[in-house]
Amino acid sequence: MVFQIIINSLITGSIYSLIASSFSLIYSTCKFVNLGHGAAISIGAYLLFYSLQTLHLSFPVSILVAITSSVLLGLLMNQFFYKNLRKRKVSNAILLVASFALLVLFESIIQIIFGSDIHIVELSKHVQVFQFYGAKITAVQISVLVTTLILFIILTFFFRRSKIGREMRAVADNKEVAELNGISIEKTYRTSFILGSIIAGICAIFVGLEYNISPAMGSKLIMKGFIGSIIGGIGSVPGSIIGSLLLGIAENLSVLFLPSSYKDVVVFALLLIFLLFRPQGILGIKREETEKC
Amino acid sequence: MLSSYFIHLLITIGIYLVSALSLQLACGFSGMLNFGHISFFCIGAYIYGYMTIIGAPFWLCFLAASAGTALVAMVIAMLTGKLRGDYFSLTTLGFSYFVIATILNWREVTNGPLGLPGILRPDFLNNILNDDRYFLMFVLVGVILTYFFVSRLVASPLGKVMQAVRDDELAAKILGKNTYKTKIISLSISGFLVGFAGSLYAAYVMYIGPGGFYASEMLLLLCIVIFGGLASIRGTVISTMILVLLPEIMRFVSLPTTILGPGRQVLYSVLLLALIVYKPRGIDGKVELQ
Repeated sequence: MVFQIIINSLITGSIYSLIASSFSLIYSTCKFVNLGHGAAISIGAYLLFYSLQTLHLSFPVSILVAITSSVLLGLLMNQFFYKNLRKRKVSNAILLVASFALLVLFESIIQIIFGSDIHIVELSKHVQVFQFYGAKITAVQISVLVTTLILFIILTFFFRRSKIGREMRAVADNKEVAELNGISIEKTYRTSFILGSIIAGICAIFVGLEYNISPAMGSKLIMKGFIGSIIGGIGSVPGSIIGSLLLGIAENLSVLFLPSSYKDVVVFALLLIFLLFRPQGILGIKREETEKC
Repeated sequence: MLSSYFIHLLITIGIYLVSALSLQLACGFSGMLNFGHISFFCIGAYIYGYMTIIGAPFWLCFLAASAGTALVAMVIAMLTGKLRGDYFSLTTLGFSYFVIATILNWREVTNGPLGLPGILRPDFLNNILNDDRYFLMFVLVGVILTYFFVSRLVASPLGKVMQAVRDDELAAKILGKNTYKTKIISLSISGFLVGFAGSLYAAYVMYIGPGGFYASEMLLLLCIVIFGGLASIRGTVISTMILVLLPEIMRFVSLPTTILGPGRQVLYSVLLLALIVYKPRGIDGKVELQ
């Protein structure tokens, strides 16, 4: 029982940390809350479902389709909307409203094309199940854990060692100084959208295989993602990973005391506690950004 | 004679107008981009619905719905009042998920996913309000009261402080205004009004379920506020009429019913995006969203 809860917490936490870190990645460079990121996850999951079940493509090809569609959608949102809006130097609130409109737009389009029913990716029905000290873990779940771990090691090296990663950190720290040093801001924004969307695509695959897919999945996941990143410290990728793991643990522990449908209540309570007592999150530094005056 | 379809549209416009004016108060005049406005509406509707079912007198139902929602809004404002704008919006968005989860689970009061059937309309003059024509007049009185109340409020000293908080919170603070308190008052009044709108809705449709109160329903309200122009009461009235009537065009093109709902959302989201890109001040906006 204890092992099962630990495993479940780790898996939920890993999936949330994928969302939260990709969300944080875009937030840290572009400095606005991109709710449209949820749409990138939905599109990825639906196209995985479509290419596996309807087109009967092989699994590796379907993965590629899912990730590519997420990246294309992320880029589309950035190049056509956010870029133009940034040129006009609009406020964050307008970008937030625009991203909300984009999220609802793509979710509604998905609903028109695929219907409002919940779909299950067939592949997930017959995966191997392993026993581990009395706890069950499926092959999909193991790959979730392993992939997340590898991805975060790659990300850490990317930010520390690569030129683009360093440029992104520079832009996140101070846009003006970075620009004076010859870093192209727009290019960095584009890179962070591509990178964030790749992670969103990977996350979409796992959500599709591990849970089920529905038109509103994107907005539900993006909520968990930003709550995870607020808990961990918004804008900090390692922080958002820790925050999301904590969120996963809290959700799975709450099942011991409350019916599982209370998960959303527990999550919101956790968010409020952090906003009240530690608005900068676990790893965040208290700055002007979290509190206005 | 007015046809029943036309009366239905007018009542819908009236209810949306009260909600939009109250959102305008929080968002346009006080600078609090409240993504949880639809859940305040929902709370008002559920309080009204529950109160009529347990048999409370109708004035008490309306009062409890409005005051209860105001109280919830006050608590939210107290918890989030010191946070930056983005955080406020996200917390209120999170709140809307919390409200839906609570409604689905608190079955003793909300009847869970099945919703509350058998909500009563106010019972004066021999249940005259069960006739939609008279109910329209009742809604109209509510709309006019809200309209004049909001107009007076934003012109009052308190309203001026709200607008100062929106434009520059630090400056308002330096001038000795208690900005935290102003935000709480503003959101509470906004909550009171939208709670009233919610109870009008519950009384009108006489059945409420969790389905109509998801966060995505915020889209229409945000669209109305931005199309009408922030901090413009006149603009809000015009845009509510246009935007509530707009998707009715789709009824005449025979679309399957499964597409009608998401089609409406596509229409509003494209419109909202177009507004943000091409006409961010709407038809009569005084300020841009900060």
